[in-house]
Amino acid sequence: MTSYSNDGFFNPAYHDSETLEIDRRSSSKNQHINPYTREDPAWRFDGADTHHSPVCQPSSADAGRVALGGWQEESWRRRDSIPMGVISNPGSPSWQHELTHSTSQINPQCDQSPSVRRPSSVSGNMTMRLTGITMNRMNMFPNTDPAFIEDAVRNEMEKEEQDLIKELVTLSRRDRIRTIRELPMCFEEKKHIRSQVLAFKTSKQSHNCTCFADYFENVTLCFRRCGYSIRSARQTLELWHGIMKEISGKFGTSVLSYFVFLKWLLMFNIFSFLVNFGFITIPLLVYDPSPNIPPNVSFRGLEILTGAGYISYTVMYYGGYSNETFVGLAKYDMQLAYFFTIAIYMVLCGIALIFSMARSFMKNFVLVNPASDKAWQLLCSWDFSITNERAVRQRKNNLRVQLKESLSEQAQRELLTLSEKLKQFGVYLGSWLLSTSLAVGCGASIYYLCQYEQEQATDAANWTLLQEAQTLLVPFVVSLMNLVVPLFYSLFNKFEHYSSQRRQIYALVVRNIFLKLFILGVLCYYWMNVVAYRFTCWESMVGQALYRLVIVDFLFLMLGSFFGEFLSNLIGTRLLPHVGIPEFDVARNVLELIYAQTLAWIGIYFSPLLPAIQILKFFILFYLKKVSLTHNCQPPRRIGRAAQMQTIFIAVLFFPFFVGALSMVAYVSWRLTPSEQCGPFRGLNSTFSVVGVWMHNLHEIPGSQWVIWIYEHIIESELFYFLIALIVQAITYTFWQISQGRKALIALLRQQIVNVGKDKSFLIDKLQTLQNSDPNKKSKEKDQKMHTKQCSDEQSSGSQSNSNAMVQALLARQQFEEEDERRSADGVPVPADISTPSALMQAMLARQRAEAWDEHLYQMPDNYPSSSSTLVQAMQARQRAESQERAEYIRTAPFSENPVNRFSAVSQTDRSGDLSSSVSSVKMQVREKSAEEEDRFQWVPSPSQNPAPPGSSALIQAMLARQQAQNEFDDGY
Amino acid sequence: MGNKQTIFTDEQLDAYQDCTFFTRKEILRLHGRYHELAPHLVPMDYTNDPDCKLPLALIVNMPELKENPFRNRIVEAFSEDGAGNLSFNEFVDMFSVLSEMAPRELKAIYAFKIYDFNVDNYLCKEDLEKTLNKLTKEELTPEEVELVCEKTIEEADLDGDNKLSFTDFENMISRAPDFLSTFHIRI
Repeated sequence: MTSYSNDGFFNPAYHDSETLEIDRRSSSKNQHINPYTREDPAWRFDGADTHHSPVCQPSSADAGRVALGGWQEESWRRRDSIPMGVISNPGSPSWQHELTHSTSQINPQCDQSPSVRRPSSVSGNMTMRLTGITMNRMNMFPNTDPAFIEDAVRNEMEKEEQDLIKELVTLSRRDRIRTIRELPMCFEEKKHIRSQVLAFKTSKQSHNCTCFADYFENVTLCFRRCGYSIRSARQTLELWHGIMKEISGKFGTSVLSYFVFLKWLLMFNIFSFLVNFGFITIPLLVYDPSPNIPPNVSFRGLEILTGAGYISYTVMYYGGYSNETFVGLAKYDMQLAYFFTIAIYMVLCGIALIFSMARSFMKNFVLVNPASDKAWQLLCSWDFSITNERAVRQRKNNLRVQLKESLSEQAQRELLTLSEKLKQFGVYLGSWLLSTSLAVGCGASIYYLCQYEQEQATDAANWTLLQEAQTLLVPFVVSLMNLVVPLFYSLFNKFEHYSSQRRQIYALVVRNIFLKLFILGVLCYYWMNVVAYRFTCWESMVGQALYRLVIVDFLFLMLGSFFGEFLSNLIGTRLLPHVGIPEFDVARNVLELIYAQTLAWIGIYFSPLLPAIQILKFFILFYLKKVSLTHNCQPPRRIGRAAQMQTIFIAVLFFPFFVGALSMVAYVSWRLTPSEQCGPFRGLNSTFSVVGVWMHNLHEIPGSQWVIWIYEHIIESELFYFLIALIVQAITYTFWQISQGRKALIALLRQQIVNVGKDKSFLIDKLQTLQNSDPNKKSKEKDQKMHTKQCSDEQSSGSQSNSNAMVQALLARQQFEEEDERRSADGVPVPADISTPSALMQAMLARQRAEAWDEHLYQMPDNYPSSSSTLVQAMQARQRAESQERAEYIRTAPFSENPVNRFSAVSQTDRSGDLSSSVSSVKMQVREKSAEEEDRFQWVPSPSQNPAPPGSSALIQAMLARQQAQNEFDDGY
Repeated sequence: MGNKQTIFTDEQLDAYQDCTFFTRKEILRLHGRYHELAPHLVPMDYTNDPDCKLPLALIVNMPELKENPFRNRIVEAFSEDGAGNLSFNEFVDMFSVLSEMAPRELKAIYAFKIYDFNVDNYLCKEDLEKTLNKLTKEELTPEEVELVCEKTIEEADLDGDNKLSFTDFENMISRAPDFLSTFHIRI
């Protein structure tokens, strides 16, 4: 589209000529015939390149600004001067966009001709949203004159906007703002619509009590501004905005998703720390600030690692809390506080996870179709957030390699024989067996190690340093397994050749999950069945074990990322260059985070302040990973589907891990007897019985009957849960059915789209065959006439033969109209039509003026008198022909959407025309030309921005245009 | 920042906040960025809607866009005149659509505009070839480019007209969940 400008530019005679200017535009406007497509390929270069063309580009920013600013001012003034009521026209309509696009390539500075001025944007607001509607309208009038369509479309758009405003007025404020935000218009248009809506609203309200309305308005405004400032403040508090931007700029979205996940988990922990600290620890500290530590225990330093000794008597663990009821300003029952804080925290966590999982599923798993891989790679995979040059280069390379691979893969895929398939299956089976047995082996060895440790450990208050250090053995082994076994898994993965990368990643993830589940399961089993019956204050012992696991895991993460990534980077760059710089493995790292978070969830009951450690851990980890990433790693070579992976990770975090932790804590509080000597629940049968005791006490308080009723009839009744379960199942079943129905519907709709496409091509074929069979007896004679006409046209105007006279005339009208308006804006007095409210009237007047102007031109001494005279004649002829034809269209059902009807309408007009036989030959020529153009270049310079079936309507319009040109030609001479 | 000198009136900021996905702070930050691009051209005072446009060459030099293979197309898609000159409002529009909050449909519309190099409202083979060449540094052989583009059209074209209309594109986008996160420029 950009090309015409150059074509015109390099040939000064070309754009001094008014007609040719129009011609040029018409070719961009004209959908059907592109005169240059086959003639001169040189003009077709990238739009971007045009900007660097040395001649046309303004040399400095100032120049560009002056030129454009000048234009802009004019257009603004013009807009103000037209009293169009509600609808002013802030934007150029998008279907005229091309027109402007192609013309504005010509720099005003390089070009003295007035014709280069930007064509006016006569019509009102038109945007992508409205474009869709307009397209439909355009399709409905395929046979009619573009000027007519233009008017209709403009009216349609105005109406559309009015409707939109009305619709917006009825919405609530929040919905309204959301809708306005999501309108695909430019800001000016949105602002315009918003002010319209607001004006409408206030005018409506002013009918009511004005004073109250004003007050109300002020209050809502205040609230709104308040809301916005809260949003602003929240953004200020947002953690690591700059770092996130840097990471995404250097490594892309998939790596960033790890950091987003880390931040999300950090938020979870901050919340849980605040809750626990606020409701459990602070009351205890207020009541009894000094921890009751035995005199022979002192702080030795190793406790930070082991969590034993000194720390085990502090509020860190379950054992540090009392079971008393503090009597201060109000009664504060420590037992109830402990129970409800943990319970509510777990429930809230669960709800938050379910919601984010559901939202993520909704967003990322809608209709995922693995088949459309190539299209995805080409059009959706580019990460717009990458800003680093090296990363861009790398990504381009990776994409190229991936595309090549997938091309070669497609070639090989069919070659697999049965034996090869069997072999591959054997490899899969073997590696699955091996990895599962590895996981089981790890679990078993940890169990025996725990038993060994338990034999060594005693219940004594003060351990020796060696004893204390021995406790680190189990966490050390566990973390080592977590570090080493996944490496084996990656090794297995190298031997299996999965057909798709996604399957490979999923296999890896599933194996790692199994491993972590086995390890955690064994540990939990050990704690619940061995530790719980052996130690006097067993909850604290479990808390200590968890503390050690968290700390040692942290150390291993640090060492792993530091030495692992650092060393492999060193090896990759210095020793073995073919190994290369290590990639950042998002899946492995996220699983490590999930594992760490599960430990914290399990530990929440045994060690309420464990989230504090976790916060510290994640905080340091964030910076550590960031440094390690930027220094040692490269972005992942495979461009995976990060969003889907993230959803999977959230799901994994919820399903086996959070649910596992929750059931562990629930089992402990329901079934196990709390230790007798320490902790808030000492002396109770189970933790949960604290609620029973509370209910029992409530009997004495008169106003609390309903609480007891709820407890007895809901919490304790099996019937209630039975009913709830039934209802939930019924609802689930219904939704499942609904989703099945929707799936079927989607398949149906997709089939329909395919069918419509087929229909379209069928109809085009049919049309062509019908045309070919049309008898044309006088074709030879008419062909000759055509040739003479073409010759004369070429003599007079260069390329008019290819152009479409109708569109030409229309454009001329627009251009003149704009020029007139510009003159009016510049202060030249213009007749009173400016104040005429109707846009249509204005357009008509403008046209008259345009004609007058044209005649004026004609009278002027001109270098190209022949061209302008042709123009005038063509326009007059056109008017006549147009009026005739329009009458005819109305007779022959022109507005039908049915292509068959359309076709019949065309043929009828053809036959009724006095040039029917001549037209048929011309028609054929045009059709062939346009069909060829469409087939070979698939490039139709459609000004109508028409996404709907273009083939048939374009064809018909081309034929019509040619016919009309013929008419005009004949009339003219 | 805005204490001594008002850049926008409250009404203007309200309008920006209602019509874009940004908060006032971000609007001010965006103004700062816009001002930075051409300090002698862009006024600090926007209360009376000054008329000022920056050419494509300046905007493309922003660090956020500098390395983007589609930088020119992005800017052109958002400029009213189609040549890449952006007023501040269009500048805000651009980053609003590219922000995290923008819904998929809105992003899809502009992404389509960006990929539609010849502005004919279809992603035809030529457009796809250009896209591919921009994405792969033009290092694929012509046959490979041809093959990839054919496959792409084959996969995404629903109505069988051998080019991708907006409907086809939107349909494809709706199945590519990553698009939301990758069609995103942090400002």
